Amino acid sequence: MLWVDKYRPKTLDKVIIHQDVAQNLKKLVTEQDCPHLLFYGPSGSGKKTLIMALLRQMFGASAEKVKVENKNWKVDAGSRTIDLELTTLSSTHHVELNPSDAGFQDRYVVQEIIKEMAKNRPIDTKGKKGFKVLVLNEVDKLSREAQHSLRRTMEKYSASCRLILCCDSSSKVTEAVRSRCLNVRISAPKEDEIVKVLEFIGKKEGLQLPPGFAARIAEKSNRSLRRAILSFETCRVQQYPFTNNQVIPPMDWEEYIFEIASDIMKEQSPKRLFQVRGKLYELLVNCIPPEIVLKRLLYELLKKLDFELKHEVCHWAAYYEHRMRLGQKAIFHIEAFVAKFMSIYKGFLIATFG
Amino acid sequence: MQGDIRKWFMKQHDKKEDNGNAPKAAKPTLAIPGKVSTGKDASSSSPMKSVQGGQESSGRRKTSKYFASEKQNQEVAKEVSGPTSKRKVEKSSANVQPSHAKKLHTVKDDDDDDDFVLPKTGKSSSDATPSKKLKSGSGKGIPSPSTKEESDDVDDTPAMAKSSGRGRGRRGGAVGGRGKKLDDDEGGDGDDEDAKEVKSAGRGRGGRGGSAAGGGGRGGGRGGFMPFGERKDPPHKGEKEVPEGSPQCLDGLTFVISGTLDSLEREEAEDLIKRHGGRVTGSVSKKTTYLLCDEDIGGRKSETAKKLGTKFLTEDGLFDMIRASNRSKVTNKEETKKQVANKEETNKQVAGKEETKKQMDKMITSVPKSSPQKAVKKKDDVRKPAGTDSLPWTEKYKPKVLTDIIGNQSLVKQLNDWLKNWNENFLSGSSKGKGKKQNDSGAKKAILLSGTPGIGKTTSAKLVSQMLGFQTIEVNASDSRGKADSKIEKGIGSSTANSIKELVSNQSLNVDMNSSKHPKAVLIMDEVDGMSAGDRGGVADLILSIKMSKIPIICICNDRYSQKLKSLVNYCLLLSFHKPTKQQMAKRLAQVAKTEGLQVNEVALEELASRVNGDMRMALNQLQYMSLSMREIKYDDIRKRLLNSSKDEDMSPFTAVQKLFDYNGGNLRMDDRFDLSTSDPDLVPLIIQENYINYRPSSVKKDENGVQRMNLIARAADSIANADIINVQIRRYQKWQLFPSSTLQSSIIPAALLHGSREILEQGERNFNRFGGWLGKNSTMGKNYRLLDDVHVHLLSSLQFNLGRRTLCLEYLSLLLKQMTDPLKTMSKDEAVEKVVEFMDEYSISQEDFESLMAMSKFQGRPNPLDGVAPAVKAALTKAYKQGSKSRVIRTADLITLPGIKKAPKKRVAAMLEPIDDGVVGDADVAQNDENNSDAEDLGTGDDEEEKPKLDIESLSSKGIQLQMESKATGTKRAPAGRGRGGGGRGAAASSSKRKR
Repeated sequence: MLWVDKYRPKTLDKVIIHQDVAQNLKKLVTEQDCPHLLFYGPSGSGKKTLIMALLRQMFGASAEKVKVENKNWKVDAGSRTIDLELTTLSSTHHVELNPSDAGFQDRYVVQEIIKEMAKNRPIDTKGKKGFKVLVLNEVDKLSREAQHSLRRTMEKYSASCRLILCCDSSSKVTEAVRSRCLNVRISAPKEDEIVKVLEFIGKKEGLQLPPGFAARIAEKSNRSLRRAILSFETCRVQQYPFTNNQVIPPMDWEEYIFEIASDIMKEQSPKRLFQVRGKLYELLVNCIPPEIVLKRLLYELLKKLDFELKHEVCHWAAYYEHRMRLGQKAIFHIEAFVAKFMSIYKGFLIATFG
Repeated sequence: MQGDIRKWFMKQHDKKEDNGNAPKAAKPTLAIPGKVSTGKDASSSSPMKSVQGGQESSGRRKTSKYFASEKQNQEVAKEVSGPTSKRKVEKSSANVQPSHAKKLHTVKDDDDDDDFVLPKTGKSSSDATPSKKLKSGSGKGIPSPSTKEESDDVDDTPAMAKSSGRGRGRRGGAVGGRGKKLDDDEGGDGDDEDAKEVKSAGRGRGGRGGSAAGGGGRGGGRGGFMPFGERKDPPHKGEKEVPEGSPQCLDGLTFVISGTLDSLEREEAEDLIKRHGGRVTGSVSKKTTYLLCDEDIGGRKSETAKKLGTKFLTEDGLFDMIRASNRSKVTNKEETKKQVANKEETNKQVAGKEETKKQMDKMITSVPKSSPQKAVKKKDDVRKPAGTDSLPWTEKYKPKVLTDIIGNQSLVKQLNDWLKNWNENFLSGSSKGKGKKQNDSGAKKAILLSGTPGIGKTTSAKLVSQMLGFQTIEVNASDSRGKADSKIEKGIGSSTANSIKELVSNQSLNVDMNSSKHPKAVLIMDEVDGMSAGDRGGVADLILSIKMSKIPIICICNDRYSQKLKSLVNYCLLLSFHKPTKQQMAKRLAQVAKTEGLQVNEVALEELASRVNGDMRMALNQLQYMSLSMREIKYDDIRKRLLNSSKDEDMSPFTAVQKLFDYNGGNLRMDDRFDLSTSDPDLVPLIIQENYINYRPSSVKKDENGVQRMNLIARAADSIANADIINVQIRRYQKWQLFPSSTLQSSIIPAALLHGSREILEQGERNFNRFGGWLGKNSTMGKNYRLLDDVHVHLLSSLQFNLGRRTLCLEYLSLLLKQMTDPLKTMSKDEAVEKVVEFMDEYSISQEDFESLMAMSKFQGRPNPLDGVAPAVKAALTKAYKQGSKSRVIRTADLITLPGIKKAPKKRVAAMLEPIDDGVVGDADVAQNDENNSDAEDLGTGDDEEEKPKLDIESLSSKGIQLQMESKATGTKRAPAGRGRGGGGRGAAASSSKRKR
């Protein structure tokens, strides 16, 4: 089993990072009824872990007995019937799903699932909660309509259904939804916290960690704990015993984006743009989300960029990222950004060096 | 019986025709002698018939053969009296033509001849004296010399007196005998005419004079998009002055262009040659006169040329040739003389105007006056020219014998044979006929002609029928062709289909009675693919008719692969007509032009033929249209005219993109651009997006380091991205009013910014627009997401993993792969296999998942994670995994997939869940109704129409229980949606749905 999964804390008591948050959550669910919750924070900070631990805290070990189902919904929307199919992860007490997978029909999913849960209300036995929990992942990816329909249903059926929403950035969740939830911000772990965790794992696995090695991994991990543990294990697979100057391998796709960035910096021509397009397609085809591609690309570009251009380039990156969200064909927008960058950078080079 | 049916047809369609025919029928006396005199020439008589057919717009209208033959006889008579010729058919049409024009306004026509003398035409009538004119006017065999001369006398004197009449004559003649038009031209437009005349003369001079400015200007523009390979720009592009010579100076010469020329783009050179009457072909042959090339690149063309001894010609040489012709022309006396004459004319014009008017008035009055005199004997002479002249040329020059049909001769012959043998095959001894030759062309009872419009399907069908003495009954899209009504009480006449049935089935009676005397009938079903909504059951009925038919049926359609005709095709012999080649068309067009007195050179006609894309009808129409305004048509005229008004054809999105991005794409009109980009609103933007980088914008003049081009590309990319956003609004929120903006942003703006010549960006790429890559990439992406989904589900069900897909893809993937592949590379075989299988089991990763993970982590130009793994190890892994899967009783992932069952997991689960789901949906409907009402209405106003019938049922259901029961069965599903809007039926529908539950 991978270390990330092996050493994931199962209960709120066992968490190493965000202990304060964990304790608060514990108090919240043990003392009183639980409100709707919205967890947000960067990836790899432990949201999911906390949610699972929280569920266990609420319902006991039975919350861990989950089964995977492909659920079908037939939604009657006006004249036509929409067939929806989603993978859900459910136990007797909770259902977890990723509504944004349904694309722009996500609002039907949100409505249906909540109503379904409200209908099959658990019999109120002693010591058990009178509600089920619905865990919705990636709420920031929900379409605006879905979020709107969510805000009504989450109030209407709050007696029988609690929502736990989980997302990377709360800014993409509408105000209305946010205000109906208790917002829990899970910040990215600090580097020394990550080092602590890595050392903990190293000890458990019986590994010899060279001094500073964990710190290097933590530094490379971009403050994502998951990332850190995964690359830690990758290093382990690659070479053991560790050496001090061992390279910490980046992800394939990151390397690829790095290549793209250096391509762009080297030459700004239609030909190069064409090649870059091919590479971008490659990334997208391999299921790398376009936002990540754009963000990473900007990150790589900024590293090599002259200071005076940084602001402008950032502006355009943000501009195109926003538009990418409005649009549908991500490649068009990324390409537009690349073209824009090339045009700016080329102009700059010629103005400076002639 | 047959007569009766024909009457019905007449009743429906042909009352007018009846009237028209009546007077003609009154005088058969004239007809008979004519027939006797030409009776020997059977082949020429039938073409005449077809002229008749052409005049009456459809074969069905022709009520009797006699009318046709009678008219035709006169023509034949005329022909006999005229100069005999070997090619009678051609000749006869040639004779008919000028004679009408002359009869109506002789002066005009004669003047015409005078006016249009061009130095090159060498027409003998150019300096015709009045007396000669008179002769040519009357001599062309109109059998009523007396009246004719009378009118000529009246006209002649003024005509001679005034040369000023010339200017006008041209237009009048071209207009072709429409009295009213004449008046207008005559009175009001006199001045205009003059102006025009002067102008045209000027044009001629300019052309010959080789105006430097014009040449230079044209030289400036580049030839534009070059689809073949990458060709360098001409080294001295636009630097040389392109000469202009006489339009015929390269007549009869054939050129082949090879390599890069010195200053001209290839298209320009081609244009130049064609403009001067030369031909340009693609490859060198014996006929090639010159190989035009500036540098010997040693390609195939030059090799062949050397072998064949073809002369080489440089661009300068070509220019010299053109210039040379020019000089000789400038010194041409005739030219100068003519100019002087023109000036004189204009001077005289004012003085002569009044007189001209008088003369014209006289002439016009004289014609109607004379006609009553002629009425008894020569009525046809007056009538016919008036009739034929106003006819479109397409009718006038319809083929009259089978050999006249352009192209498709073998098909026509096949049709002929089929029709000829029809009776033998199907009426007499049908049993044996069917048995022995199933594959023979005679085996099918009907025939289906297919082909693009304007290539002569209907014409050949009719012609063949006429040649074989069949009487054609045509039913086309203008008739309602629905299913025959079984209720006969209404009378058969009420529906065309019924009468067809009658016709088709009862023919046998006639045949039995005396088949030799009665004309045989053939049913032509035109435009069968047009049988649409109005003709319900039309095709099925047609098939039925074919089955029981006693007469041959010819069906005609454009698209034989049309879905509607699928069933029909099985009952028909299929003949696909092809487009005639442009040479064939040009030949025929030349005949027509000659007959009409148009001066058109062959190159121009070929250009016309190629522009109309094989549509003869279109070509003739264009020619006639152009003949209205000019007497001499040159290559340039056709190019100019057809550039814009080219045929509306199905344009491939590639062509559209190419046109938009053409070097001269900036000159397109906005609506043209719009048309181009909306020719396929889905594909064009994608192709543009794929290719816009490849264009070197022509708007950027000097761009050494490519900054400007890069800027333009950035703008174009931005605009394309805009279009994407707009598209989301259109598709997702149905805001179709944004469609024009989307088109503008996605296609027009990028094209406007970047149009220019295309260059290749990758070695070995062909210089064509690539197909939009987005579609393919998107579908691959979709596939990969699905695979990832499966992997994700499997991982989830291992209960070790509870993260999103995205995390899986971004972060887990590499480690997972490493865990699965690294042992295979480093460890010994058995150990490694064991370890990997164990790992896969732990995460319940199946063999397929393994492969899809591999596929997803592959990046182009990076090493495959499986590289370095020995094939033996891979095989061992697969084997081990399969063994394991047998012994594994329940894998965690088997919650979804049972081992050994290959059925798609989703389907199976769905099947298990179905009963539950039904209940869910039903209940949810009610609960959801509140929220959904608004949504449902938003979703589509178009749905409302569909909803209405349902609502009707529901409202009925409130009245009667019986109906309610029905609606319970059908309407419950719809009920919730309907309730929001359905007024009366609401209660009932709601109650019924509730009760059901």
